[in-house]
Amino acid sequence: MRKFVLFTLSMALAAGAQAQGTIKIGAITSVTGRFAEFGKMQLAGFKVGVAEVNRKGGIGGRKIELVIEDNASDVNKGLAAAERLVNAGVPLVINEYSSSLVKAQAQYLARQKVPNLVVTSSGDDITQPGSEYTFRLNQPATEYARVILSIFRDKKFKTMAVIAGTGAFEKSVADAAQTLAKQYGITIVEDQRYDKGLTDFRPVLNRIKAKNPDGLLMVSYAEDSVALMRQAREVGVKPRLFAGGAAGFALPEFIKDSGSAAENVITATAWIPQLRYPGVQKLNVELKKALGGADPSYHAAQAYAGVIVAAEAISRAGSTDREKVKAALNSLNMQTAFGPIQFKDFDGFRNQNPLAMVAQQVQGGKFVPVYPKSVVPQPIKFER
Amino acid sequence: MDPVAVTAFFQTLVQGLLTGGLYALIGTGLSLIFGVMKVINFAHGDFLAIGMFISLALFKTFNIDPYLSLLVAAPAGFALGYVLQRFVLTRLGDRLGEGSMLATLGLGLIISNTLLLGFGAQPQSINVPYASSTFSFAGVQVSISLLIAGLGTLAVIAGLNLLLYRTELGRAIRATAQNPLGAELQGVKTANIQAIVFGLGVAFAAIAGVLLMPLLYAFPTVGENYTTKAFIVTVLGGLGNLPGALVGGLVLGVIESLGAFYVNNNYRDAYGLVAFLLVLLLRPEGLFGKTVKRV
Repeated sequence: MRKFVLFTLSMALAAGAQAQGTIKIGAITSVTGRFAEFGKMQLAGFKVGVAEVNRKGGIGGRKIELVIEDNASDVNKGLAAAERLVNAGVPLVINEYSSSLVKAQAQYLARQKVPNLVVTSSGDDITQPGSEYTFRLNQPATEYARVILSIFRDKKFKTMAVIAGTGAFEKSVADAAQTLAKQYGITIVEDQRYDKGLTDFRPVLNRIKAKNPDGLLMVSYAEDSVALMRQAREVGVKPRLFAGGAAGFALPEFIKDSGSAAENVITATAWIPQLRYPGVQKLNVELKKALGGADPSYHAAQAYAGVIVAAEAISRAGSTDREKVKAALNSLNMQTAFGPIQFKDFDGFRNQNPLAMVAQQVQGGKFVPVYPKSVVPQPIKFER
Repeated sequence: MDPVAVTAFFQTLVQGLLTGGLYALIGTGLSLIFGVMKVINFAHGDFLAIGMFISLALFKTFNIDPYLSLLVAAPAGFALGYVLQRFVLTRLGDRLGEGSMLATLGLGLIISNTLLLGFGAQPQSINVPYASSTFSFAGVQVSISLLIAGLGTLAVIAGLNLLLYRTELGRAIRATAQNPLGAELQGVKTANIQAIVFGLGVAFAAIAGVLLMPLLYAFPTVGENYTTKAFIVTVLGGLGNLPGALVGGLVLGVIESLGAFYVNNNYRDAYGLVAFLLVLLLRPEGLFGKTVKRV
């Protein structure tokens, strides 16, 4: 724990903040554990966000500071982290990656009447039905499925298969794909779910190979994505398109670790540097710098946006009072380098920012945008 | 039958057999240790994790091919096992049984947490050009890495058999397994033999870990899953029964693969466990009972 205190301290010092008079905002992410890859991205996003707010004079002349707690990629440790932040009296908590973890924390924070700004976790049920204290600036799982299924529909795919983990996020995307496939007239010939820790996908892939679908949608966390694609190539599954539901598939490590197996895989993603929002390029450069030269994933941009939105809400509330901050979040309507932010109630969602996803494809060992039109898409390459 | 379905069946079967081969290698180490010393080694999966991380570290720092890292991992595993048996487990004296169970459980915790400190908890994998290369035989795609793992297992088990039945050391090991006191009276240094056997068992786990590395990813607690698999394998084949461990591994691999293919993938681990329970209920001495000579 000392490490994180030091981390926050050094961040505050780097921003030139005085110990007194800073506004402390709570944030939870996976500094350690199996989601640490995403946590690394989010820490970079937090750092860039805090630096930007403080460079612009902070909130009413007071610098901001993030109190970052580690959830160790574990539900119970995540809850303990939320409890520590609530007791520390933060005006709001910026909440993090894994839907399974966030769902538990969101319920706890709502009971404690602490505004909870979700930036990355996307299980539909976090804001559907949600609560008056839970706000989400990133896209819900339905959108992850929608962007992929839209491509399948546009390319006249008749059949598809789904492989998804049993976690809250994977289940959410896979269930949304079921619903959308019906709407779009695509037949799901195989829908297989796997438990965390499964490392041999070959039997499932053999099943899918026998059905020979046009599209294969895979929803999984970081390393499973690599194992899935390696084994898919090995088994010889050949849909017209392999598609990933973001998460593991949208990380730069996916390409690095799977090598040629990643080629032609398309993936949903929440943010790419090719988007045309003001400040996108600058954000990309700063995130890259914060990551020591590595390419940022959308998780970093979302964490950045979380800090910017939190600061704006506190600034509008004119106070760190939790109820006032909540009211400010409700009336927020702003533009960030991650995208436009406004919390709305629609389609059963509550306090959800309506934002579409984009899709990218691995071409020549790099992600290139392929959908929608607003990102100047490259033509999609098919497996067959 | 539909030719696609036939190919799919054989593909699943072959993959099950090859995966099963790896289980067999892991189970053999466990079974060997139990057969000679009656030590139930709960750290077995963690020794496998050590093999994986040795391979990972060598690849990341020196770009050494994972199969070459066997040259480091196997002797390192042997040395570790030897030292642990000689200086830790023997100190438990005659209170073996529960004592060794707790001691190895503790060792496992120490190992996985040391790996956690050194490498972090996030899963890590290595990308080698042949990671997903295959060759096709009558329409059945076979993974090169998986095949190497399967052949590696056969080689190791064949080597072990030679050692046990064709060398003086093997005779001493078998003597120690049958009657430690008698062996000691005949001039066999049983303490040394036991340390060698533990070293061999750990080396086998480490080899299995290295063979897994091109196929899978490593994380500090990866061993837990494999400790369970090793137990299922050895119980299927009969504790301490080496040929039994080989067959047990293959059976487990095939049950899991076919179950996941034909029934439902969600219950994959359950198929092996159901087989495990059935064997415990119906043939507690293992599938082969006493018909196969024990080590």
